[in-house]
Order: sequence, then structure tokens, then C-alpha cells
Amino acid sequence: MAEDDKKDQQGESGKETGKLMNRRDLLQGLSTVPVLGLFGYALNKQIGYERAQKEALAGPAAPAAKPSEINVALLGQGAQGEVLLSAMLKVPGLRFRAVCDIWTEYNQKRAVNTLKKYNFDVNGYEDYQEMLAKEKDLDAVVIATPDFWHSQHTVDCLKAGLNVYCEKEMSNTLDGARRMVHAARETGKLLQIGHQRRSHPRYIHCFEKIIKEAGLLGRIVTVNGQWNRAVKPDLGWPQRYTIPEDRLEKYGFKSMEQFRNWRWYKGLGGGPIVDLGSHQIDIYNWFLQSQPKGVVASGGTDYYDAATHEWYDTVMAIYDYETSAGRIRAYYQTQTTNGSQGYFENFMGDQGTLLISESEAAYSGMIYRDVSAPPWDSWIQKGYVSVPRVLGPQPEGAEAVLDVRESVSPDEHRIPISFRDPYHKPHLENFFRAIRGTATLNCPAEVGYETAVTVLKVNEAVEANTRLTFSPDEFSV
Amino acid sequence: MEQERFSRLQMMALVVLRVVIGWHFLYEGVAKLLKPGWSAAGFLLQSRGPFAGVFRWIAERPDVLGVVNPLNMWGLAFIGLGLILGCFTRLASAAGMIVIGVYYLCNPLLVGYFYSVPMEGNYLVINKNLVEMAALFVILVTNSGRHMGLDRILHVWFQKGRR
Ligand SMILES: NC(=O)c1ccc[n+]([C@@H]2O[C@H](COP(=O)([O-])OP(=O)(O)OC[C@H]3O[C@@H](n4cnc5c(N)ncnc54)[C@H](O)[C@@H]3O)[C@@H](O)[C@H]2O)c1
Repeated sequence: MAEDDKKDQQGESGKETGKLMNRRDLLQGLSTVPVLGLFGYALNKQIGYERAQKEALAGPAAPAAKPSEINVALLGQGAQGEVLLSAMLKVPGLRFRAVCDIWTEYNQKRAVNTLKKYNFDVNGYEDYQEMLAKEKDLDAVVIATPDFWHSQHTVDCLKAGLNVYCEKEMSNTLDGARRMVHAARETGKLLQIGHQRRSHPRYIHCFEKIIKEAGLLGRIVTVNGQWNRAVKPDLGWPQRYTIPEDRLEKYGFKSMEQFRNWRWYKGLGGGPIVDLGSHQIDIYNWFLQSQPKGVVASGGTDYYDAATHEWYDTVMAIYDYETSAGRIRAYYQTQTTNGSQGYFENFMGDQGTLLISESEAAYSGMIYRDVSAPPWDSWIQKGYVSVPRVLGPQPEGAEAVLDVRESVSPDEHRIPISFRDPYHKPHLENFFRAIRGTATLNCPAEVGYETAVTVLKVNEAVEANTRLTFSPDEFSV
Repeated sequence: MEQERFSRLQMMALVVLRVVIGWHFLYEGVAKLLKPGWSAAGFLLQSRGPFAGVFRWIAERPDVLGVVNPLNMWGLAFIGLGLILGCFTRLASAAGMIVIGVYYLCNPLLVGYFYSVPMEGNYLVINKNLVEMAALFVILVTNSGRHMGLDRILHVWFQKGRR
């Protein structure tokens, strides 16, 4: 050092005598300062990306303005009606006016009492016609009656000038579903079908951002999904609230047992494939932006008593789609005898796999990058997917079978959208916003109809025991 | 001063080593400072080995943590700054060695220890912490800040002032 410095002194500082230090000292002394600038730049960028991720996670901010009031009636307040009501009680700007349910002594009473607690003065009705005749200032009705009532209830409510939110399945027959589409068109009133995943922020993120914009799955080739449910006893009822037979008969039920378990009966419901499958098969059509060309299916009442379970307790179906990108095969199964792995939809492309479900607890949005895919760093920066978790080291003893032909396990990213609201709230909100003119329906009648066509065909295919085809015009009304 | 002389390239290499380690320290500190509510408690609670008792004791005492946490965060950041700028280089590298040494003692890689937290890579006794510590030792003894770093200016000032 000493010599080095001496050289410096002689070289440059000779001219700069009198100054405290020479230029060389200064330059060398400050030589690493620019690194701090670089660090600051990198840090600033990093903080920006982290903020973008957080914002993507938080979702859109809620509108501040106080919305105008909407007068709402509830038609059908069974299990699902109750779920919808508790979600609606968290939506501002609704005024509940009437509850109609034929189980006056039980479900109707419960709903009326709940609403009284929230200071809504509501009238209870057994007959929806009477409600429509007497309640003159209704804006909207939320229908959660059994499937075979949907068409008649919806059409009459639309014709009475109401906007309608109708639970899925749109109808148990395509005829009924078609009448609903026509009625919506003729009256110009809104008809939202209750496939609530259509409004779920995580599903919207996956479709709009992951699939459509970023194309992270590449070309989707196969889909699989399921809803497995554990064995469940038939639904019962408190004996003292048994509905008199003439009333049951008037509304199309042969017995109290059938009234409670209508979903298992032909002519009333559609069985698990319609009850559960329609939610998820609706996602197939949505995410693939297409409708199937054909379906093969196998199913039957393999476990329960066929006398009280006319519809199949076990169904496995394979759709084939023909899209502009190529052919896609989509498997779906529902069984009601073992709940393992619950429910999910899994989309597999040549670059990635998207595993998603409505649940926050399981399969709440994972996306796996296949080794052949280009890096996803820019999408991580934008907050579209989370930082990856490299799937763990090989299990104990795996060395023995480890082999170059083995695929490397993909990186697991999460969809950074968590959701704390009741599952149905965004879909209901979308409906009420559409009434106020600040949104368009996420699942209008036409979409519900396409899904009904797709799903109801499975039961036909089981019966036919052969591949059934869809003609393209079958999906439109 | 009786000291080794380094070629320009050797000196550059030492400065690069100093700056990258400094960068690492600085971000370790800044990242913790930016995380609201960051605490060393989780790390300390996972301590294994002969000193586990001490580290767990710290983790369970909020008053001690109240000192240890800011000391750790700001310490890391200042050590990083010192190394990048070549400012109080010897002090910064010695402090860095101590900090890393403490981390290592908290989770020493003793033969036959299996950790629940998976680590990337494979290590036997020596891990990257120890490698970084050894690199800091090199920086400490070569004192590269005196050649390329603020220490050079400080040194000149100090000497001129004395003269
Ligand atoms: N979107 C979802 O996640 C979801 C979940 C469950 C059910 N559902 C749908 O909700 C609907 C209701 O299902 P549920 O499980 O609540 O059934 P449920 O049997 O528990 O409830 C049906 C209610 O409708 C009443 N009702 C029957 N016929 C009526 C009529 N003609 N007029 C007035 N009220 C009548 C019954 O008294 C009962 O209270 C079904 O279409 C079902 O597919 C949707």
C-alpha cells in the first residue's frame, strides 16, 4: 500500500498540493458509492412488485356511495334459501318485503323471524301467486325452490315485472329452461342463474388473468374435476311440522319424504350430477370458452335404495370439446359414498396446471408450472400468481428409482386471491348491481341455459349407454 | 506500514467480494425493517444444539426481544452499508462475523442433526453462513476499504488532520 500511495502522490497529487487529499484518493474512496444507487433502484422495484401482489390479493375497493334501495322477495327458504338470505343480509341497500314458502310452519316462519330480527317487516305467503298479486312494489325476487319449480316461478315473476335471481339448476327440463330465457327476453327483466362461481373473485382472476391474458396453462388438453361426498342419511323433518298431505300434493310432492329429498327423484331434481356437477361443469364451459361436442357417461344407483334414490348416486362422465386451439377432453365424477378429496376442478395445459375450488380450505387455487414452460417471473411481479414453492425433495429411498426419464416435479404457485365473504355474496351483489345499472350479469339466462344443456345430457348419456353428441345450435335458444 | 501489496486485479476481487456481502447484509436488514412486526422469535425458537436454551430464553422474553430485534435489523443494515461503502470496513466485517456466528450457533449444523425446516442444498457441518463468515474474515484482514472505499478518505483526513 505504502508504495502504491507513494506513486499516487508523485503522479497526481504533485499538481494538487495544498488540497486535503488528491483526486485519486477521492475517486477510489467513493468508487463503491454507486452500488448504493443500484441497491436503491433494485429495492424500489422489489417493493413495487410486493405492493402489486398485495393489491391483487386485496381485490377491488368497495364503492363508497350509499346505494338506492331494492325491494326484495324471497321465494323458497329451505337450506339454500337460508344461505342466500344470510349472504344478502351483508349486502347494503336491500329492503326485504315478503317471504313465500309452502312449508309455512317451519322454513317460512324461520325466515320471517330472522328478517324481523333485522327490522324488516315482511309478509309470509304460501302461494307465490298471492304474493305477486298483493306485493305491488317489489323490484326483485330470489328463488330457491326445488328445481322443478324454477321455470314456472321464474317465468311468472318476470312477467309480474320482477328481476329474478334463480338458483341453479335453471330447470330440470330444457323446455322449462327455454321458457325462462324467452320470458327474460320478452319482459326485458334481468334473470341471473345461481352458478355463483361465475362471480367468485378467484375464478374471475383465473379466467381473465391466468387463462385469457397470461395464458399460463398454454394449450389446455385435459380437464378433470369431481365432487365426492360422504354417505349421508336421507333428510328428515321434525314430526310436528309435517305438512298436510293435500298441501304437499298441491305443490307436486307425493310424501313428506319426497318433499325433503326431492333432488333424488326423477321429475323433481336431477341427482348429484345436476345438483353438484352443474356448478363445476359450468366452469368447464366457461374456462374453455366452448361447449362440448359429445359426452360419454356411466352411472347408476349403486349404493342407496333405488326406490328413494331414482337418480344415480354415482356418475362418471367424459366430455370432448373441439376448440380453435384443439381437442380437449374433460372428465367429471360425482359419487356420494366417500368424501375423500372433496371437490375441485383441474385444468391441464402443456405449460401449466390449474387446480381450483370454491373452498378456502382445500384446493383454494394452485397453479403448477410445467418444466417446459417459460419462466413466470413477470406474472409473479404483477401479482397474478404467488412466489413458487418448489415441490419438496424426493421422498426417502427415491434415489433407487430416480432416473432421467422421470419428470421433474413442477413448481407450485398459489393464486393470490383469498376470499372471506359468504360464497354466494358476490353473485348476489352482481345481480343487485345489475338492477341498479352498474354491472352486467355474470350468469344471465343464456349462460345458465348452455350449462343446463351440457349437464342434463349426462343423465341421458347414462341411460343411452353410448356417446351422445351435441349439435352447435342445441346451446342457443 | 508493513503490508502485503495487491495487484489491481486482486484488489478489485476483494472489493467485489466486500460489496456483494455488503449488499446481502443490507437487504437482510432492510427486508426485516420493511416487514411490519418482524421478529427474530420464530428463528430463535427453532434453535437446536448446545445453545438452544439461551436462544429460546431470548425468544420468550418480550423485553429482551425488544432490544434484540432492532439491534439485529439495524445492525445488519449498517454492516451492509459499511461493507458496500468501505466505511469502517474492519469494524463492519468483524461485526458481520459475530452476527453470522450467532446465527450459526443458533442452528449449528452438527453431524446427525435433522431440521424440520428444509434447506436448499446439502451441507455437512459447513453451510453458506460459515462460508460468508470466512469471506468476511478475508475482508477483515485485507482491509480493502483503505484502498477502494470511504476508509481511504477517512484515513487521509485523519492523517492530514494529525499532521
Ligand atoms: N348454488 C348453490 O350452491 C346451491 C346449493 C344448494 C342448493 N341449491 C339450489 O337451491 C334450490 C333449493 O335447494 P335446497 O337445498 O334449499 O332445497 P330445500 O328442499 O331445502 O328447500 C326448498 C324450499 O322450497 C320450498 N318450496 C318447495 N316448493 C315450493 C313452491 N312451489 N312454492 C314456494 N316454496 C316452495 C320448500 O318448502 C323448501 O323450504 C335448488 O334449486 C338447489 O339446486 C343451490
